[in-house]
Amino acid sequence: MSSLQAREVTKTFGGLTALSKVSLDLHPGEVHGLIGPNGSGKTTLLNLLSGYYKPDAGQIVLDDEDLSAKPVQRRASIGVSRTFQKPRLLPTLTVLDNAIVGGWPHAKCGFVATAFSLPCTGHEEREMRARATELLHGVGLGHVLQRRANLLEHAEQRFLEIARALMLRARFLMLDEPAGGLTGVEIGHLSDIITVLRDCGIGVLLVEHHTDFVFRICDRVTTLDLGRVIKHGLPDEVRTDAEVRRVYLGA
Amino acid sequence: MVLLALVTLPFWAGDEYKLHLAALIGAYWVLIGGLNLVIGYTGQLSVGHVGLLAIGAYAFAILAGTHGVHPAVAIAISGGIGGLCGLLLGLPSLRLPGFYFAMATLAFALIVSELILAQTALTGGGVGLSVPGFPEPFDSPAGTYYLILALGALVTWLTWNVARRMWGRGLIAVRDSVVTAQAVGVPVFRAKLTVFVFSGITAGVAGALFGSLQSYITPDTFIFELGLFFFVCIIIGGRGGIIGPLLGTAVLTALPELAAPLAKLGTFFYGLLLLIVVLLVPEGIGRLFEIVLERVRGRKVDSMPVSPDLARLSAAVRADRAT
Repeated sequence: MSSLQAREVTKTFGGLTALSKVSLDLHPGEVHGLIGPNGSGKTTLLNLLSGYYKPDAGQIVLDDEDLSAKPVQRRASIGVSRTFQKPRLLPTLTVLDNAIVGGWPHAKCGFVATAFSLPCTGHEEREMRARATELLHGVGLGHVLQRRANLLEHAEQRFLEIARALMLRARFLMLDEPAGGLTGVEIGHLSDIITVLRDCGIGVLLVEHHTDFVFRICDRVTTLDLGRVIKHGLPDEVRTDAEVRRVYLGA
Repeated sequence: MVLLALVTLPFWAGDEYKLHLAALIGAYWVLIGGLNLVIGYTGQLSVGHVGLLAIGAYAFAILAGTHGVHPAVAIAISGGIGGLCGLLLGLPSLRLPGFYFAMATLAFALIVSELILAQTALTGGGVGLSVPGFPEPFDSPAGTYYLILALGALVTWLTWNVARRMWGRGLIAVRDSVVTAQAVGVPVFRAKLTVFVFSGITAGVAGALFGSLQSYITPDTFIFELGLFFFVCIIIGGRGGIIGPLLGTAVLTALPELAAPLAKLGTFFYGLLLLIVVLLVPEGIGRLFEIVLERVRGRKVDSMPVSPDLARLSAAVRADRAT
């Protein structure tokens, strides 16, 4: 199986080196944790993997395709998907519509076909609705399908973002601090959801500060500090590593 | 019921002037309906569509009047030229951020106005051009009204189809969060350009209808305030709906004409109405209707804890991955 890889990527902003020759590979069917102190480059790496930034050196690769210079939209069409630290929903649309928009790469009807309501559009619309409805029930939003997204509570927004990301038929899913602002019970639900996605063969990259959550759920963990990888390995190896404890976990 | 009223309008409108006014609203709506996808759905604040309207009107006048082309063909060509001009305007300007895009469309409207004035041989310059009417059976006021009603209904249907399907959601994503639009794979620039060209086509067709209703056009027919008027109709009607801007168009066109005191206020009236709406109902009058509807249906906004259905999630994801 192919993996989503960052190969020795470097990213600088002005004179500041945010990432320096960082490598990471995300396998299908694993949960990969990415931890590190604030400013260590976690979100920069996620933005490079998802295409919002272009690397100054190094490559982002999937299926032997060099994605480094490809736009974000190209990732969407090959199933590389993400959520945001601060949920980015469409406030005037319903929960259902917010999820359906994630299916854009798989909608084949063009503007003209849509405008003239050719038969394919109705068929496609029903299929998208059915898929989104199933996914929303799956993440626990089945009771608010028709609610406007601006009326959602925080946890609901986070889970809606996951459902939207899954509508892309995600092969790789990158979650940017998904547990932020969630209660203990909700983190439990999140953990269950991530486990299910992993068991379905999706590669999940988890950028997170809740370290006990990360060490509990992840198959592998990468630790960044000052734009470099300081430790990479199994959760227990990382947790007990002297340098990780010194710069991040606090001994 | 509204539909019935519109279809039977010529029989109860009373005088021809009211019928003319209804036809004018229809012609404006052909433009505003298309522009609504650009402003209301995609959030691209074009104030220059009066330029495209002028191009459509002059194209129709020159083709059908000067060269004797059949009016039906002339309307279609006007739409085509409007779409082409929309493409040429959109290609460089739709990459600009909001404010600069608005300025580019404003500049376009001014340039069109100057070009029309300069090309005396073609457009009659400041003297203007007379515009032919429509052939049988559309040559009477009622006939013209029905023709415009049909085209207005067509535009409404087309935009309605776009708005309620994947395209509409993608356009709203471009409006509300470009980052989200990119994340789900919406080709942002191409989506903007597509609806802009569409709005160019409807503006061109609207120009032909509008010109014919005016029966005589000069560069002063297409003053910049008209472009602002289209913009205001959509903002007052509400972004992200179709009924709202349609009501906005009808009310803003008809009120100053039917109530004489308002006509004296002119632009002041539009300004005042815009101010009231922006301050009191920033989402537009279309949203007011939605709120009333929600109240009537008594939709409860109770909160329930989120509890995932893991078996269902697993089945859904596996089904997606199998295809």
